[in-house]
Amino acid sequence: MTEASANSSVGPGLPAPVAEFRSVTKWYGAVIGVNDIDLTVGPGITGLLGPNGAGKTTLIKLLTGQLRPSLGQILVRGELAWSAAAKRFIGYCPDVDAFYEEMSGRTFVRTMARLHGMDRRTAAERTEVALAEVGMSDRADRTLRGCSKGMRQRIKLAQALVHDPQILIVDEPLNGVDPVGRRELMELFRRFRERGKAVLVSSHILDEMELLAEQVVFMGRGRVLAVGTLPEIRNMLAERPQRIRIRSSQARELATQLIPWSQVRSVDLPTENELSLEVHRPDEFFRRFAALAVECNWNLSSLETTDTSAEAVFEYVMAAASKF
Amino acid sequence: MAVELAGYREWAGRRRSPWWTCWPIVRTGLNMILRRWIFWVLIGLGLLNFLFNFAFVYLKATLTVQSEAAGGFLDRYRVTGTGEAYADFMFGQASITALLLAFAGSMLIGNDYRQGGLIYYLSRRTERRHYVVGKLLTVGAVVTLITTVPALALYAEYGLLSNSLDYFLNHPRILAGILGYGVVLAVVQSLLLFAIAAWVPRTVPLVMTWLGIFVLLKGLAEALRAIDDNRHWLLLGVWDDMHRLGRWCFGSLEAGRIPTAPQCLGVLAGVCVICLVLIVRRVRAVEVVT
Repeated sequence: MTEASANSSVGPGLPAPVAEFRSVTKWYGAVIGVNDIDLTVGPGITGLLGPNGAGKTTLIKLLTGQLRPSLGQILVRGELAWSAAAKRFIGYCPDVDAFYEEMSGRTFVRTMARLHGMDRRTAAERTEVALAEVGMSDRADRTLRGCSKGMRQRIKLAQALVHDPQILIVDEPLNGVDPVGRRELMELFRRFRERGKAVLVSSHILDEMELLAEQVVFMGRGRVLAVGTLPEIRNMLAERPQRIRIRSSQARELATQLIPWSQVRSVDLPTENELSLEVHRPDEFFRRFAALAVECNWNLSSLETTDTSAEAVFEYVMAAASKF
Repeated sequence: MAVELAGYREWAGRRRSPWWTCWPIVRTGLNMILRRWIFWVLIGLGLLNFLFNFAFVYLKATLTVQSEAAGGFLDRYRVTGTGEAYADFMFGQASITALLLAFAGSMLIGNDYRQGGLIYYLSRRTERRHYVVGKLLTVGAVVTLITTVPALALYAEYGLLSNSLDYFLNHPRILAGILGYGVVLAVVQSLLLFAIAAWVPRTVPLVMTWLGIFVLLKGLAEALRAIDDNRHWLLLGVWDDMHRLGRWCFGSLEAGRIPTAPQCLGVLAGVCVICLVLIVRRVRAVEVVT
């Protein structure tokens, strides 16, 4: 899905966008940070992917109101992201691991709550809710210096959640967190989404992004290269035939049948019971294949696409982008 | 713990003006200073000076009750009771504060730039101006707590232990002097510390720069005056300019003697403007992705 179609994802009957980028450009002197971005972030989990220097950090800084765009507008729930009114909707968990080390986790979260303009009592109440949500209630009295990387990550998340934001923006949340912790954090993001809120996650861990994000935004060279679900984006890469692996005891007969199809670009038989295909227009192919499989009563033990993972799609998108 | 078990509920509470966020910034800063023993050593030094003066005032009051002459004898020692004495007391306290701030500047302000902690403030309703004001108030509060508040306590003690409360009525300039000198110290030191710590955030370079401004400039000013025989060079000593202006607030600055109070005020105002420009440039520079 392109930028234009990303915008078109917001229409009648669809949830209202939480954040919108409208033709946003940001220059750092002569260097361009992001270039003419049109993007809509709705409720649900959105993954932000891209190589270093792609503009992810700039995009996040613009959305959290730390940067003012050189051109265009960024709206959060209809308020300019730069304004104080928009900040109440934003929960930001930066990748920066800089804390006031002498503070306890609880004091840190409470202080951050007070910076949102809460009175003392409300700040204390909201701190307990946020700490419970990240599973740190019983360990939050340790000084931050004595916290492990995973605990610090949770405290950072708690400070982002403390004011009950509409959109949670998380920069590299899974770095340095053990597998159990990662699962718990992913579960936390899903719970947040279930409350009808938005999560924007920037990460380099593609496998987990694939499991977590419903929609991904690929960035490169300061532009949004593609937006959509991974299969949607994969399907858009028409020049890249999709790879499919079929396991069947009738692999040879299958190959004979499939070779003449216009959708099939190449056929390979790596083993006696395995068939590798490269196909164009995969939707068309799968419809036709399903009909044929039923009609001929083929004995199929498995059928899988081998290059629709986040990593494969990421590589394809980046390769496609490098041509421009 | 699951959200449901935690009793999660949406929060739709009323938020106060972003200017309120200055208060948690001040509170956090003071808390951090009070948590470190090294700062308590310096605060203790200031406290010793205060207790000495406090005891002296008490002694004078006690002796005066027994014998007016004995009390008068103590007036020869410029400890308290006169504007000159308060100015000296505050100067001593301010020296301790300057030392404390030299070491605390990195923690209070420098770390926000060195480690990127500033984004925790700016991603909230706290805008740059609220952040700057909050940090300036923090430093100002430290200065006030160590210089102005003890001086006010001594002033109150002296007045209350006098034979009558006429002391307060007869010496309003002293109260104005304490407050005026306190404001000069708080404003100049907070702006200077913020500007230096924002640009030189590491502790050791910060201490060297900070002390350089107060010690080296003073030495340079004295040297240039000796060479050129021009007292205007003394204006270079920012630390002494503050003291001169403080003494003017108490009414104890020798009239017409160069550098005069307006000259000192001009220099200090210039320093403050330069600091403000540096602060604004630094806070804006956060936009540049490093």
